[in-house]
Amino acid sequence: MNTLILSLKSKPSFMLDMSPLIPEKVMGLNQAKIKQIKLVYGKETISVGSLFNVSGKAGENLMIEHSCDKLICVGKNMSSGHLSVDGDVGDLLGQSMTNGQIDIQGHAGSWVGTAMKGGRINISGNAGDFVGAGLPGDTFGMNRGIIYIAGNVGDRLGDQMRRGMIFVKGKAGDYCGSRMHAGTIVILDSIGKYPGNAMRRGTILLAKKPKHIAASFKSCGNLKMQFLRLFFTQLSQIDDEFNFLKKHGPLAHRFSGDLARNGKGELLILQAMERR
Amino acid sequence: MKINGVQIDDTFAEAFPMKATRIIITAMNLKWAYRAANALRGFATSVIACGVEADIERELTTEETPDGRPGISVMIFAMSNKELGKQIPVRVGQTVMTTVTTACYSGLDSETEVAMGKSLRYFGDGYQISKLVNGKRFWRIPVMHGEFICEETTGVTKAIGGGNFLVLAKTAREGIQACEKAVDAIKKVDGVITAFPGGVVGSGSKVGSKYPFLSASTNEAYCPTLKGVVKSELGPEIGSVLEIVINGLDEKSVAEAMKIGIRAACSYGPKQGICRISAGNYGGNLGPHLFYLKEILK
Repeated sequence: MNTLILSLKSKPSFMLDMSPLIPEKVMGLNQAKIKQIKLVYGKETISVGSLFNVSGKAGENLMIEHSCDKLICVGKNMSSGHLSVDGDVGDLLGQSMTNGQIDIQGHAGSWVGTAMKGGRINISGNAGDFVGAGLPGDTFGMNRGIIYIAGNVGDRLGDQMRRGMIFVKGKAGDYCGSRMHAGTIVILDSIGKYPGNAMRRGTILLAKKPKHIAASFKSCGNLKMQFLRLFFTQLSQIDDEFNFLKKHGPLAHRFSGDLARNGKGELLILQAMERR
Repeated sequence: MKINGVQIDDTFAEAFPMKATRIIITAMNLKWAYRAANALRGFATSVIACGVEADIERELTTEETPDGRPGISVMIFAMSNKELGKQIPVRVGQTVMTTVTTACYSGLDSETEVAMGKSLRYFGDGYQISKLVNGKRFWRIPVMHGEFICEETTGVTKAIGGGNFLVLAKTAREGIQACEKAVDAIKKVDGVITAFPGGVVGSGSKVGSKYPFLSASTNEAYCPTLKGVVKSELGPEIGSVLEIVINGLDEKSVAEAMKIGIRAACSYGPKQGICRISAGNYGGNLGPHLFYLKEILK
């Protein structure tokens, strides 16, 4: 399978909009043409060739080497193929992507997967605020797709999320799942204040009890949630990465809320994992 | 043609196109999954009056079910997608959902689907929750035992109904013995069911009747008590005729089930009362799928 490799020559001084560089846009182009592609760089535009060493053949795979947090909008509007990044990326990773897969070997900035409509984003490090959220002014956040983050995330994870799943192995900040419309968020480490604040529907699945739960969430008690058996079994079929979940559940403490907004959402705190 | 001394008639079974779905029922253990499955397949022997024909296909291991619990697959056949769409929510709602700890999933991936949880969700009275997991939509319906999980739709595929063979025996007791062995053998074939009680039909029918309001009536040519009255297909030694009807997902699986079923029935032989094997057909007028006994037994 053909892979195009873009190796960053040196860390740029300004933000670099990487949205023209997605697999389906460069597929079939030769290296000379790819080097001529213009990127928005601060207030200017700059050609790919002046910032990147280009090698390989453009196809389904695109690889960015020596990346840094100045690269923004990586994988924006991506609808197919595989984009892998060696290094950090800036804000708006995978914005509005509809399909395909993005793998980041490093950290990501804020607004990861914002307005995402499908596909998958894997981040080996941490991510900033507003992961899976909508852009300011949007009614909805991500709508389908999976975001997997091995590290920690900032505040407002899944703000206004509509569908899909966000899986965080590390910690999450405050206001996780705020204003959620639906979808599923899984946090395996500790979580900040006000999880699910103003959520309408959706599930926030926590491995550890949060420091603070708003008064507008009511306890339904410890329950065997049969849905968790299904959820964990299905996740293990998506990826071996989720296999460990099969041994957990279905016992969870269920909190229903946010009652200030109809209360059809839920916080599920896994009991078996908490005891472990 | 003879197998173990049993005469195989030079005839064919006539089957017809149907629509089928497969439903997976899981529960806390197999005992409760069976209770739900047995209720689901109740009164589902023949489309003549039941709307659907259904039976348990097989037990499923925890690795084979969507939620990792023990399960059972049930196959349901009907004459049309519309009839399946009418029967599935009613049957699942009244039998599976009412059984403690159960969940219900589609066991067939197909572009054509009929509603399952999509209709049943309303039982949740507004408290139901939808979850899209691994590309499939499931409904979580709060119920008194906890939560009833049901997949939104189940896949429907083209299928074949009415594959059959007749076991002509000296007595009903001897015929049942051979049929039980045949049905046990047929259960090992994937994608087929025998929907009648115990897999055996004691009152096989012909199409039509002298009464205009009746679409099916007794097959008098195979009734032992009418041997001297009508043009009978039975010799003097035959005292009981039992029929095994097989529905399957394709011709190959129906033919395979007929083959191993007939061989199993013939293993008893004439000394144990099995005299002949025949098949039910309507001169090729009922359906396009013809299973010639001598060909499938080659």
